[in-house]
Amino acid sequence: MNEDLKKTLLNPIFKGNPITVLVLGICSSLAVTVQLKGACVMALSVIIVCGLSSFIVSLLRNSIPNRVRIIVQLVVVAMMVILVDQVLKAYAYSVDKQLSVYIGLIITNCIVMGRIEAFALGNKPVPSLLDGLANGAGYGLILIIVAFFRELLGSGTLFGFRVLPASYVPNNLVILPPMALIILGCIVWVQRSIQKDLQEK
Amino acid sequence: MNTNNNVYTIIYTTIIVVVAAAILSIAAMALKPRQQANIKAETISQMIAASGISSKEDLAKLGNDKILALYSDNIKTAFLIDKDGNKTDELETEVSSIELQDNLKMENKNIASGEPSLPVYVFEKDGAEINVIPCYGAGLWGPIWGYIAFNADCNEIVGAYFDHESETPGLGAKIKDEAWFREQFKGKKVDFDNPDKPFGIIKGGAPEGDASKVDAITGATMTCNGLDAALNTWFKAYMPFLSKKAGAAVESDACCCEGDSCDSNGEGCGKECDHQHEHKHQHNHQEG
Repeated sequence: MNEDLKKTLLNPIFKGNPITVLVLGICSSLAVTVQLKGACVMALSVIIVCGLSSFIVSLLRNSIPNRVRIIVQLVVVAMMVILVDQVLKAYAYSVDKQLSVYIGLIITNCIVMGRIEAFALGNKPVPSLLDGLANGAGYGLILIIVAFFRELLGSGTLFGFRVLPASYVPNNLVILPPMALIILGCIVWVQRSIQKDLQEK
Repeated sequence: MNTNNNVYTIIYTTIIVVVAAAILSIAAMALKPRQQANIKAETISQMIAASGISSKEDLAKLGNDKILALYSDNIKTAFLIDKDGNKTDELETEVSSIELQDNLKMENKNIASGEPSLPVYVFEKDGAEINVIPCYGAGLWGPIWGYIAFNADCNEIVGAYFDHESETPGLGAKIKDEAWFREQFKGKKVDFDNPDKPFGIIKGGAPEGDASKVDAITGATMTCNGLDAALNTWFKAYMPFLSKKAGAAVESDACCCEGDSCDSNGEGCGKECDHQHEHKHQHNHQEG
């Protein structure tokens, strides 16, 4: 049992990472990775939404009528997203403004609904919670790696603090979404060269 | 239990939705005071950014309390005007009780119905007055708004700041994100001689030398059209106030020959004076 929980927790971070292996949640990972601060808040939001909605759906899993299960899941996810958005508006207004529509779009993040359908509906609440949190963390990890390179090369700063000398000319291409896709591609490349079983023949 | 039963399904979904709605309402009510404090500080920082007293980036580093204090320190007076440009009411500017007329959506409706109560925020920067007025309108996806700062005589724009609720990032959102867009408002004028369209955001580039037109943003046509309409609606509503101020400025310029600084050079000044002031001018000469 303990081994199982460990696997649930660690698998989504690297071996079964939702972005680089399942290729889910690409859209928001391109949009919110210009700055580390935004990426961290987005990562945290997805971890919370993914974990708690998996937990709630898992609690309800035996009572949900099968025909309307997607709608019930959607209600739960939407509720969590709105709660996160409201809390951010109250306690981190500038970040909320910066992330603008993307917080609301967590509802449509395939990772959240995907984990609920694939895991939470068939497992007990605690493993579901861990699975949700771990998938959120796997998503967040990639987000932060991409944001690190984009902020470093695109603005010469990290978390808003200047780390590269002022003589560094910021690379504007890195700020644009296509570069996020290229960095993401590089991460997938690195992972596949380490983890040979992912390579197609 | 058979969970696929119709009655069960309906009751189940109803309960879920009601519970979710209740949780959200409680959260919204509990967080509202903090959210409103944030919105107020944001509104104020947009005005200050438009006036040029501080930049939006610097303001973002300040806490809400400091932004309110900065407003209170730099503002001279804030008041409401009616549709004829007459002052109707003062707005409180003390830091503990700052009043704003920030329901721009409501005022936008009131402009259309002809009974607006429009705010003017008069800041003081380096000894000169700066008049900041808002504008509000519809973008492509949601509301857009902004603050326009005029010089003391209201005949020249000295700064602007725009914001939006949900314009497309990278396209319409550039009205907020691109500094060059708001920079080009500096030095522009509201065209008092063209009351139907006192200002223009021109797709394909503003004509050279036209002081009341600016360039639109490529790829953001709908947002720019919305901003153009918003600016024109609000400038028209403010026209009596602005032209009164600008008109007063023209008159006081013309009378400069009465001032001390012109005494030494009465000849040169006389040429600039309006004809209607010539009798005063002659009077001055007799005294001299």
